[in-house]
Amino acid sequence: MELAWYALLGLFFAGYLVLGGYDYGVGLLLARGADAPRRRAALNAIGPFFLGNEVWLVAAVGILFGAFPVLEGELLAGSYPAVAAALAGVILVTAGVQLRSRPGGRSARTAWERVIVVGSLLAALGWGVVLAGLLQGVPLRADGHVAGVTHLFTPFAAATGLAVLALVVAHGATFLTLRLPTVESDRLRPLAHRLLLTATVAVGAAAVVALFSDRVRTAAQRPAAGVLLAMLLVAALLAARVALGRRRPGVAFAATATALALPVLLVGVTLWPYVLVSTVEPSASLTVTDAAASGPTLRLLGWLAVPLLPALLGFQAMCLWIFRGRTDGRAPVYW
Amino acid sequence: MDTLLLARLQFATTASIHFLFVAVTLGLVTLLVGMQTAWVLTGNHRWERLTRFWGQLYVINYVLGIATGIVMEFQFGLNWSGLSRYAGNVFGAPLAIETLVAFFLESTFLGMWIFGWHRLRRGAHLALLYGVAITAYASAFWIMVANSWLQNPVGYEVRDGVAHLTDFAALLTNPALWMALGHVVSAALLTGGLLMAAVSAWHLNRRTTDHALFRTSLRIGLVTAALAITLVQGFGFAQFGPVGGVQPTKFGGNPEADALIADWTARFGPGDYLPPTLSNVGLGFMILIGFALGLLWLLVPLLWRDWIIRLRFPLWLIMLTLPLPFVALILGWIAREVGRHPWVAYGLLPVDQAVSPISPWLMATSLIGFTLLLGTLAVTNWTLLARHAARGAADPALGRPPAQPPADDPRPEPAFA
Ligand code: HDD
Ligand code: HEM
Ligand code: HEM
Repeated sequence: MELAWYALLGLFFAGYLVLGGYDYGVGLLLARGADAPRRRAALNAIGPFFLGNEVWLVAAVGILFGAFPVLEGELLAGSYPAVAAALAGVILVTAGVQLRSRPGGRSARTAWERVIVVGSLLAALGWGVVLAGLLQGVPLRADGHVAGVTHLFTPFAAATGLAVLALVVAHGATFLTLRLPTVESDRLRPLAHRLLLTATVAVGAAAVVALFSDRVRTAAQRPAAGVLLAMLLVAALLAARVALGRRRPGVAFAATATALALPVLLVGVTLWPYVLVSTVEPSASLTVTDAAASGPTLRLLGWLAVPLLPALLGFQAMCLWIFRGRTDGRAPVYW
Repeated sequence: MDTLLLARLQFATTASIHFLFVAVTLGLVTLLVGMQTAWVLTGNHRWERLTRFWGQLYVINYVLGIATGIVMEFQFGLNWSGLSRYAGNVFGAPLAIETLVAFFLESTFLGMWIFGWHRLRRGAHLALLYGVAITAYASAFWIMVANSWLQNPVGYEVRDGVAHLTDFAALLTNPALWMALGHVVSAALLTGGLLMAAVSAWHLNRRTTDHALFRTSLRIGLVTAALAITLVQGFGFAQFGPVGGVQPTKFGGNPEADALIADWTARFGPGDYLPPTLSNVGLGFMILIGFALGLLWLLVPLLWRDWIIRLRFPLWLIMLTLPLPFVALILGWIAREVGRHPWVAYGLLPVDQAVSPISPWLMATSLIGFTLLLGTLAVTNWTLLARHAARGAADPALGRPPAQPPADDPRPEPAFA
């Protein structure tokens, strides 16, 4: 029961990183200095999916609260600065994308674009640091609370933040090669190619820092699985590069999407059976079962929410299906 | 500096901003459903234009509902980790259900609705708006279930120092729930209706173009607001019974409250168990506003032969009343939330045990940061709303046919955008 909910939590958070990830990637690419119509075209390529993307985060936190209340409290409060930064980023992007085109003037639109860039940056870095914080363990005391926030400021957390940032940008560029009209997509391909290389290097660097970090080595319960999944991540990025080179943007996007989902799996598997490993008091570490809500709550949520799951995913799939394909002259322009 | 005080301030600020926007969301979406249904049924172009104009305002307003809502959701974990730990088994359930059942679909549908004009069949496009409205009401329902549990914890038992869920049905039959829900929903309808009436009144008073269009929405808005204020009053007074019953300390001292305080003092130690009077003062003002808005009914007969427009001063009256429901919304929530002080969960979990053990400096930074961020966004959003409302219904971006070059967006765009 706990395992099923843990998997669902992972699914929703990974879904958020994949879907929100390309929003932020596209957002960051606005800083590239393309002309105004191109920037607007990029935002409208996200268009109908935008609102449905970030709601995966809302759902993930809902599951976190309902099914893993203890983890919710300690994880969020214990990673306060990272979570707050990510949250501020999410808000800036939400407001920026939706309000950017409401004023007519050029300068107002440029200002909103900056808001989107800053928001995307904060969100990508923030979530990267939160994931790193899980992987390197937290100072969870015997009283069940995480002491202080300085534990977040490590080379590994910084490297992971940057790696997620690089992943997100590469993912966003790949998404645009898939969504924009063919002419534009051809223009973007070399950039996406370069960004994928950068992401590969950044992920590799984070992995090396992890290998040299005592805290990560101690916290990891299944280091072999962790290394394997990290290699898979790099492989996914390389596959995306090859696919882009062969003009298969769909395959490339699937590969970068896998690359964004993998960090969540990596954290879950490497720490299993723990979710929160204490660096100061081994007996205080939280296992998945410790962190989960009690039986009746999980059963209730199961009865109410799980039958709805196919509907939730079905409507999202319907949205992807209706608005599939490249944007063209018939696509509505709103953002 | 005191972490607890800062955390409470932060909750109060975000919740207030959140509610100012979601009340409008809930009210307007209901009216939009009516207008778009009329468009699909009659095929009359005027209804389409009404849907686009008010839909545009609705969508702009929605942005801050989301932005502040996400902060609300995270705040439980960030600032109130003791609440998650102690009551998460019970209180978390309705919130989890809300996010999965309501928000997830609401946002998915809304995205499709915005980009679905001219692309989907009319029936399907309308169905999406129904989806948005139904899920919005569902979210109001579940959040009120959660809030009512804090007001009056039921259906749980405490084992190993943690509350466990024993009876979910009790959460749904909570005496603190149903009248409050009716009150909140009708208050939202009142706010939405009055907003519509006031914006229309502004246009009619200015004699801008589209007289017929704004005449229609003035009527819809005013009648909705009048019907809603009666419901607000009814549900509002109906709350005193059940709320006073489960929270004897809320509305000032009485014998029951004294007995309860004696019991708490024995169990939790001595302390100040009465809420600050501030909350009841606010309640009084809200009720005053409620009565004042009841006078909206006096304007309804003036709809006959458009006297309301010809006389002009009723238009001014409507415009001037617009801030009142917003003030009442905040006062009402402050009464409800501060009124359960010093408890997060009434009689069960005191606030000082619920707050996260983090440094006051961090909490202060977060409070100032998020307040500035959300405050700035709120003001910007209202400015944009006002501009779009004043611009009129000539060419809203929402639902603009792709072939038509946007007036505000000088071409050349690339061929595809
Ligand atoms: C009576 C109405 C009501 C009340 C009291 C609340 N909300 Fe709300 N909320 C809504 C009615 C609503 C809404 C009208 O349904 C919104 C507006 C935009 C949206 O997506 O739904 C919303 C948005 C919204 C969102 C964004 C959803 C999205 O991304 O689409 C979140 C996370 C929350 N709320 C969470 C909360 C929390 C944690 C609350 C209390 C502690 C709360 N809301 C009180
Ligand atoms: C319906 C959903 C809501 C829930 C579940 C909820 C929950 C909470 C929680 C957990 C706290 C912190 C603990 C405390 O100080 O008591 C709080 C405080 C507060 N909330 Fe709400 N809230 C809701 C809606 C609102 C709204 C819409 C407002 C708008 C004005 C509001 C105003 C306040 C205020 C003023 C406080 C501070 C009270 C105090 O510390 O004495 N609440 N609420
Ligand atoms: C005759 C008028 C009114 C009466 C008698 C009334 C009564 C009440 C009472 C007793 C509460 C406190 C409930 C509690 O503490 O649990 C309350 C709360 C509230 N009021 Fe009113 N009210 C009136 C008018 C209004 C108006 C005009 C609005 C807004 C448009 C409004 C919005 C709210 C809200 C949002 C709450 C908090 C949520 C809730 O308790 O349901 N009220 N009201």
